[in-house]
Amino acid sequence: MTSIPVLTTERLTLRGPDASDVAPITTFYASERSHFVGGPKDADGAWRQLGTEIGHWTLRGYGRWMVDLSATGATVGIVGLWNPVGWPEPEIGWDLFDGFEGKGYATEAAAAARAYAYDVLGWSTAISLVAPDNTGSAAVASRLGAVLESSFDHAKLGHLQVWRHPGPDDLENGGMGAYA
Amino acid sequence: MPHKSIPVIETKRLVLRGPEADDYPNFKSTFTSYRARFMGGPLNPYETWMLYAAEIGHWQIRGYGMWMIHDKRSDKPLGMAGGWKPAQWPEAEIAWIIWPETAGRGYALEATHAARRYFYDTLGWAGAVSYLDPKNLDSIRLAERLGAKKDPEAATVDGNDICYRHPAPAALRNSQLADGIALEIAHYSDPKYQPEGYALD
Repeated sequence: MTSIPVLTTERLTLRGPDASDVAPITTFYASERSHFVGGPKDADGAWRQLGTEIGHWTLRGYGRWMVDLSATGATVGIVGLWNPVGWPEPEIGWDLFDGFEGKGYATEAAAAARAYAYDVLGWSTAISLVAPDNTGSAAVASRLGAVLESSFDHAKLGHLQVWRHPGPDDLENGGMGAYA
Repeated sequence: MPHKSIPVIETKRLVLRGPEADDYPNFKSTFTSYRARFMGGPLNPYETWMLYAAEIGHWQIRGYGMWMIHDKRSDKPLGMAGGWKPAQWPEAEIAWIIWPETAGRGYALEATHAARRYFYDTLGWAGAVSYLDPKNLDSIRLAERLGAKKDPEAATVDGNDICYRHPAPAALRNSQLADGIALEIAHYSDPKYQPEGYALD
């Protein structure tokens, strides 16, 4: 069976989630930072979320990567392609763990994930869903060249902004270079 | 595209394989319905899909998980059976669920018996439990047919369930219980099957 691809950027390594990620994901979902993305969750809920992240790859053929700092191996967040049942369309999503915000990691990892979606999977467009008061996440979307387009109401996650990314052609024609 | 492949188990009538995208509709119809009341349901469609994905991810995290049970001849999905241990579970559980239209034919017995043998013989488990809702009489009866016994001392998932403890590998090997399970499964796969020396009265 094909394994989850590994992507590398200037500072980051994006790899498939596995059993070693129980602790960081449990810590993240216990933190206030997770309230924009369906948290907080107890340890059991976080464990199941890790299972879901892995199973998403099997069910969709793509999913989200764990993002490690290449230099130290520290796991800084979860970034990638997300499309559970009921999603308006396939999304580029990012969750940064406590203490790793403000360094451009989400933007760097999301750009690599977007390039993978366009170049390898052949996506013609992509969105990102952002909770209205999640200004940090909106700033990442903006830095990636996405624009606020509409909104979407989710039964569990509530009201979300839909940000539209530049398409593959826009990026080729002088948009931001996806591969840093 | 999981990192590790999920083993395939064959029994007389069944093939147990990892859950796949094609098998989702049956899972969805059960977990969004009242039939899921003993398994934390009913769930909404989003939660159901997230759980289905987690069933697959469980294999990667623990090295075991729930198989999708298929009819060997038609490949039709019949239900699920296997091992289950999310973070809150005190011990590794043997779990099962049969899709409604296929209940009553001994599939769950055949599948769980094979799953337990895999866990004991291949993975080297020293034992196993099943956490059952006290109102889930069909599953309690299946646990008892598998030789599991109520363990009132054992920790439960959340206090609303009962822990049934399966016989350990040594207690199951070459036992009257194992023979009885094999006999019952043989009877399901061939109702005309009559073992030699069966009492006539």
